[in-house]
Amino acid sequence: MKNLFRNILYQIKNSYRDKSFLFWALLYPIILAFFFYTAFNGMMDIELESINVGIKEDNPIEFILEEIDILKVEKVSDRQIEEKLNNEEIDVFIDKDLNLLVKNSGIKQTLVKEIIDQVKQMVKLNRPMNSYDFSIDYTIAKNQEANPMVIIFYSLIAMVSTYAIYYGIEVVSLTQANLSNIGMRINATPLTKFNFLIAGIIVALLLNLFANGLLLLFIKFALKLDLFNEVKYSTLLILLGNLFGVSLGVLIGVSNKLKANVKMMIGISVTLFLSFLSGMMGPHIKVMLESKFPLLGRINPIAIISGNLYRVNLLDNTRFVNEGVIILALYCIAIIVVSYVFLRRRTYDSI
Amino acid sequence: MTVFKYFIRISLKYKWSILAYVVIFFMLTIINGSNPAQGPASFTDIKLNISIIDQSNSSLSKSLKDYLVERNNIVYPPKDEVDGKELIFLEIADAIIVIPEDFEERVVNKEKAVEVYRDERKIESFQIQHQINKFISFVNATYENGELDLNAVNLALKEKANVEIVGTNNGNEKVKEWFFYYFNFTAYVIIAIYIAVIGMVMTDFTEDSIESRRRVSSKKNFKFNKEIYLGQFVLAAIITSIFILGSIIFRGKYIGEVQFSKYVINTIVFSFTILSLTFLVNNITNNRFAKNGISTVLSLGTSFISGVMIPHELLGEKVVTISKFFPTYYFVRINRTDITSLLDVKYEILMQLLFAMAFFLMGLYFSKTKQRV
Repeated sequence: MKNLFRNILYQIKNSYRDKSFLFWALLYPIILAFFFYTAFNGMMDIELESINVGIKEDNPIEFILEEIDILKVEKVSDRQIEEKLNNEEIDVFIDKDLNLLVKNSGIKQTLVKEIIDQVKQMVKLNRPMNSYDFSIDYTIAKNQEANPMVIIFYSLIAMVSTYAIYYGIEVVSLTQANLSNIGMRINATPLTKFNFLIAGIIVALLLNLFANGLLLLFIKFALKLDLFNEVKYSTLLILLGNLFGVSLGVLIGVSNKLKANVKMMIGISVTLFLSFLSGMMGPHIKVMLESKFPLLGRINPIAIISGNLYRVNLLDNTRFVNEGVIILALYCIAIIVVSYVFLRRRTYDSI
Repeated sequence: MTVFKYFIRISLKYKWSILAYVVIFFMLTIINGSNPAQGPASFTDIKLNISIIDQSNSSLSKSLKDYLVERNNIVYPPKDEVDGKELIFLEIADAIIVIPEDFEERVVNKEKAVEVYRDERKIESFQIQHQINKFISFVNATYENGELDLNAVNLALKEKANVEIVGTNNGNEKVKEWFFYYFNFTAYVIIAIYIAVIGMVMTDFTEDSIESRRRVSSKKNFKFNKEIYLGQFVLAAIITSIFILGSIIFRGKYIGEVQFSKYVINTIVFSFTILSLTFLVNNITNNRFAKNGISTVLSLGTSFISGVMIPHELLGEKVVTISKFFPTYYFVRINRTDITSLLDVKYEILMQLLFAMAFFLMGLYFSKTKQRV
């Protein structure tokens, strides 16, 4: 036990003396979070701006259009119509027969079309104006709290929680004689390799959890984003993400004789690819996969973590979380068992 | 040309790093380009993916359903509220509409009559509420002697405005969009590769022992620098050419439909500016780790704030103001501007060249300071 604590202490010191560790583990997620926040902040409050509508002097529904808050009506002459549409100075032109001229399809054009459809439909319905009451809202809005920025942050946290993969690879290289000088020394001494490895895994988990904690504090206090309303499942998911990361790192480390930097590349590719599939670089990938391969979202560890963090914190939905936790736990157990098979009784002809 | 030869040879040592960036870039290009290149030549309404749960099953609710089905795409209904929210979260549905049992009664009494779960992330999901309110307002307008005239409403709702698209070039909007995003994204990879790779090669050259050996050699400083900069220039030209050629390989048949020369000239000017930035970084630090960090932070940072990842319109006003202090902003502005001649974007090109000059002069200053030490 004493040896274990000593190994843990030495490995923590070793990691903190490594500048690249300080940057990639502690600073990089914070920098990424800051960039996400800066860039996506403008998307937080999506509001439809006013729609610029062009009409000619003789337009019969000018008075109706002027009444609608969202429309900004502008008089244009015949020769200005195309020019203003092309320069996007007006979004739609409405002629006196209520035909529309647009530059392209879009939400603004669709909304104006809905308005003009409505005018035409009212004429067709032929009821007195006072029989319509458009001031009543017949809908009960039960919109779910959602914004694209929050989803991206859950994906970021999910990805960062699996960053323990790098420590996993590093820890294994420290115990393998063919990969590092420390590995050679450890194998040539009576020190138990297993003890050193367990210490390394504990350190990996502790350091990555510390890095995750710093990121969460930064998001909460510096960016002032409240992502977590639910603590129990959120903590469990992040913990399992860490365990998954470190065990996968150990597996990548022990399963082959590739160089350390190639193993790192494999680690980076795996986490990036899984994050990519979970929608971190654009929700359309996730949407496309969800419609074509729905199973993939349920077995991708990063999608399990980010999706369930969103569900338990924003949707109060814990229906899928147990399934996700079980799948993640099974991944960890399977990876640890396979890694153990690779690790046991490894000997070297010469060191 | 010994120095130049070794510069290229050492650069080849980093071929895997360059290749990794190039492969990721082209993979993203393929994924982004999976949409059809040709956009619609006629106007298309925005259609939402909706799901309707009809608990009323009345003729009125059926009419509302028919009206909504005609204007939107229908996705399978959720089992319950939690499932509905899940469908919206997964972006399978944009809105879920629940028509209650007492729907007809609520409509006639002018009460809130339909529950709508809408995806707030999508601005277009507003229109579902508008469609429902319009339908019910029309229905109520026909209410007479305790009867609703649904036939008249259904007939009236078939009336539609005629929409035409101006000009003949609208068909290639998607092609333009593809080139716009493709060349915008080159900004990110160019910054990342130049600073990381040229930085690493320069670190090898300026290592203390090599630097000392060079100083005592007969190679003149001027000649050494000339060959080094020629090497950097050639490496930069090769990398930039890969991306320009990539666009021709992926969308070669469409280059006549976009202002291709604008993209090429802009990319070359930007590439030159970033080469100057790399010169500055190399003169500030010789530390590999620091250069890697600067490469990541600058490439990602400027791409996020300058409109590479997210369009300018969606960025906050302050962010756009800050981004004007980086060349990437002007690079993206040129890409998004429709031009008749390069004179239309002369200011943006000039700004990039001024940045190049500023980086170069600052680099010279740091280089002189280092020499004095």
